[in-house]
Amino acid sequence: MMQAKIKKGKFKKLCDILGEDLDSPACRQIIDNISNSPPCKVYYDTVKKSVLLCKQNDCVEEVPNGVNKRLLKILDLEEEK
Amino acid sequence: MNDQRLVELAQKGNRKALSQLVNQYSERVYNLALRILRNREDAEDVLQETFLTVVQKLDTFDGRSKFFTWLYRIATNASLMKLRKKKLVFQELNDESEYQDNIENRTFIDWSQDPSINIYDREVKTKIDEAINKLSDIYRSVFVLRDIEELSIKETSQILDISEENVKIRLRRARQFLRDQLSDYFDERVSEHDAG
Repeated sequence: MMQAKIKKGKFKKLCDILGEDLDSPACRQIIDNISNSPPCKVYYDTVKKSVLLCKQNDCVEEVPNGVNKRLLKILDLEEEK
Repeated sequence: MNDQRLVELAQKGNRKALSQLVNQYSERVYNLALRILRNREDAEDVLQETFLTVVQKLDTFDGRSKFFTWLYRIATNASLMKLRKKKLVFQELNDESEYQDNIENRTFIDWSQDPSINIYDREVKTKIDEAINKLSDIYRSVFVLRDIEELSIKETSQILDISEENVKIRLRRARQFLRDQLSDYFDERVSEHDAG
């Protein structure tokens, strides 16, 4: 377990990439540059893990059969066979 | 047959082409609404509203954007309207500069490598759901489109009618919010684990 404090200047640099694709080469480069700041790395890793957990927790659901039928009826469309 | 051709045929009154578009996209629209609204009944309503709007406005679709982007825009707007009507109270995000100032004095615990933190744990799943439920509409919609639906920054900006820079800012804030919410729980869990 790592506990550490973060430096504001470095955090600003980190924030600049947190709205990007976290695995993009540009992000990787910045992460490599701030890797000498363990707290920044911890912050980045926990952001990335949070996104991953949310993605893994999401599952695609089928439209309930009755709902699909009702939709086609409202739109006056035929069901595909 | 591709979307463009199906749309052209549907615009000329071909019911089979319209039916094919509905069948092709109903599941994606339903899941998009479900992800934003987090309620099946509301997602069913949005699915219906979205395709009723598509049928009504199909003539106005000029093909300058992809059909998919246009459809997602209608579905996202319908979902956000519904979410706003419910008047849920979302957790406020801290002021950005205040957040950065606070970060300077905070301690971080690395729970990202803890193998016990995974979605097979019921409590972890609950915490993830709770965190997303607290995310307010403008941040949730960007998070869903970018990180869950994996759409590009450009597509997200077109769907939400906001600038690409704004997409990035909202996504960053959404991710930071979710991290902080999850950290409140995971920090404690990891500390207890290490102490035990």
